[in-house]
Amino acid sequence: MSSDSDAATDGGHATGTSATTTADAATTDYLDAEVNLLSPSTPFMRDHLRIIWTGFAIWFVAVFGPVTLTAIAPGPMTTQMPLIGFPLHYFLMAIGAPTTGLLLSYWYVRKRDALDEKYGIEHPTGGEAE
Amino acid sequence: MTVESLSLLQSSGLLPEGLNVSFKLLPAILVLSMLGLFLVIGFVFRVADAEDMWVAGRSIGNLENGAAIGANWMSAASYLGMAALIALSGVYGLAFVVGWTTAFFIVLIFMAAQMRRFGKYTAPDFVGDRFNSDAARAIAAITTFLIGFVYAIGQARGMALVGLYVFGDIGLLGLTGYQSMVVFMMTITVGYLTLSGMLGATKNQAVQYTILIAAFLIGLYVVGFSQGYSTVLPQVEYGQLIGELGSEFSEPFANESYYLWIATCFSLIVGTAGLPHVLVRFYTVESERTARWSTVWGLFFICLLYWSAPAFAAFGSDLYAQEVGPVYGANGMDSAAADVIVVLATQLAGLPQWFVGFVAAGGIAAAIATVAGLFIAGSSAISHDIYTNIINPDATQRQQVLVGRLSIILLGVITTLAALDPAAPIAALVSYAFSLAGSVLFPMFFLGLWWENTNREGAITGMLTGLVLWSIPMINEVVPNYLGGVEGPLVAGLAQWMPAIGSALIATPIVFAVTIGVSLLTDEPDLQTKMLVRQCHSPEPMHETTAAEAVASSERTDSGTPADD
Repeated sequence: MSSDSDAATDGGHATGTSATTTADAATTDYLDAEVNLLSPSTPFMRDHLRIIWTGFAIWFVAVFGPVTLTAIAPGPMTTQMPLIGFPLHYFLMAIGAPTTGLLLSYWYVRKRDALDEKYGIEHPTGGEAE
Repeated sequence: MTVESLSLLQSSGLLPEGLNVSFKLLPAILVLSMLGLFLVIGFVFRVADAEDMWVAGRSIGNLENGAAIGANWMSAASYLGMAALIALSGVYGLAFVVGWTTAFFIVLIFMAAQMRRFGKYTAPDFVGDRFNSDAARAIAAITTFLIGFVYAIGQARGMALVGLYVFGDIGLLGLTGYQSMVVFMMTITVGYLTLSGMLGATKNQAVQYTILIAAFLIGLYVVGFSQGYSTVLPQVEYGQLIGELGSEFSEPFANESYYLWIATCFSLIVGTAGLPHVLVRFYTVESERTARWSTVWGLFFICLLYWSAPAFAAFGSDLYAQEVGPVYGANGMDSAAADVIVVLATQLAGLPQWFVGFVAAGGIAAAIATVAGLFIAGSSAISHDIYTNIINPDATQRQQVLVGRLSIILLGVITTLAALDPAAPIAALVSYAFSLAGSVLFPMFFLGLWWENTNREGAITGMLTGLVLWSIPMINEVVPNYLGGVEGPLVAGLAQWMPAIGSALIATPIVFAVTIGVSLLTDEPDLQTKMLVRQCHSPEPMHETTAAEAVASSERTDSGTPADD
């Protein structure tokens, strides 16, 4: 993840954070910042989208990678794996992909929580909220 | 050929070969008491007002909502249909395992928290409010109704086939055993629905999840252990068995092409992210943080079943080959037997009737619970979004309830009719609904949340394009099954490149392009709508019961402080 000053220089919109070095949700007016998946306009969204696209890239490889490799190189991909006996492609699809999806989800939610902390955001829980 | 082999046409006298078809007292009691238990739990946690009914008061925590996501998700397609496709179509069946699990990551990163912040209960509400249009709302409502109908056909097929084991051939009015069971099961479902409609939903789903996953996993462990296939981890131990099964089980593209695998998997992913009953689960939580964490839990709970289904398919295929006949080839296992492979495996393993009945009851309960949820969504789309919002704005409460009930009965009747002679196995039938959700609703959710300039005109043309594109392969391949004297597919080339089972691979990108193009050519949405979208992405926490709309409108009047009530 890059530093905040980095993030502040490539924004096309005045968000109020460019002058400060700390990224703080309180100084940004999110209702004035355009929402566009391809051109994030606040430091928070830039940080968030960096996580999203990283996860998406890994996800894409885990989902479509094994089947595509199997189509390209059926020989190596159908080799029987030692110990567990699966052909490699079968293992990567039946067990690899769902597990990758689960681990990625866990990773993303952890990252997103860390982002909340960076921007000083606290979520109401259970009975605390009135 | 691709889709033909999936829909190897069965006559309406579907009969799973090898399955013991007769009335059995203990399994029948198990099925009925499982449904009874759901009703009792629903009654204990019943809720009074609409807010509670839809979103359970937004008080549901991570684990509980995760279990509810799992229960909502697991229909007969997961419980029965997936193992069936893996047993019959081998590696192609894995497209369902991959698509139906990994899709939740897309839901998580692009939609869960934003949907929670938007705070609308149903898909038509989201579309109607985001695009400020009753026409868009109506198209979304019709789509929701259609999804419910198409999705339910597969469920009806599943519960009727399993019902044959439990209740036998009850021979109604000269119908075949399978058809009688469709009528019988759909009657039970509509009855269950009228009782459960007013009862607590989410508490019930956590219990439903527990029962369904227990029935599935215990079934798998007992079959694996008693037959010497596995001990502690059948989800991995079946790997040793793969070499002994027919090459069709594991050889890549032996049954279906690479293209069909990709098309199906893509369709299932975007369909998951566009299914109204998946997204509604995110409105039920206290904060967007809970929406995220409960998705992780939900995916874990779903994975428990999805890691296990291929193992069940492997054990079932091996037992079938030993005791009934060849699994593959001209005299191989038919799609009806495959659709009950999970139940058949426990029966062929020689386990006691009550135990087989327990596994069967899990499948029936999964189907009935899903159909109940789909029918409630479909009928509310008709009574609330179309009748009250458009046809008769002065409708009384009584009229609304009447229209709602009539639409449930209508759904029940057309589903029953369509399931009497179903066009395809369970998983294929259900994936038609995923193609629809992925082509029509997913682009609206995605663009609506991630590009504030998506406007009304773009949404309406986009959704209409999606509906037309979805209909073309359906008419080409599926409708001919219901017409006498016509053989599907009508156009073989179309079926190859835009198969009904995975039509979203073609349709979704086109709908995206149309929606974006029309939005660019017409006026931008007003500031209020843009603020609504921005509020969905703001990291600032919202009060438990606030929706983006309230925050956005209060921001406009007094700048600075978000609504705190």
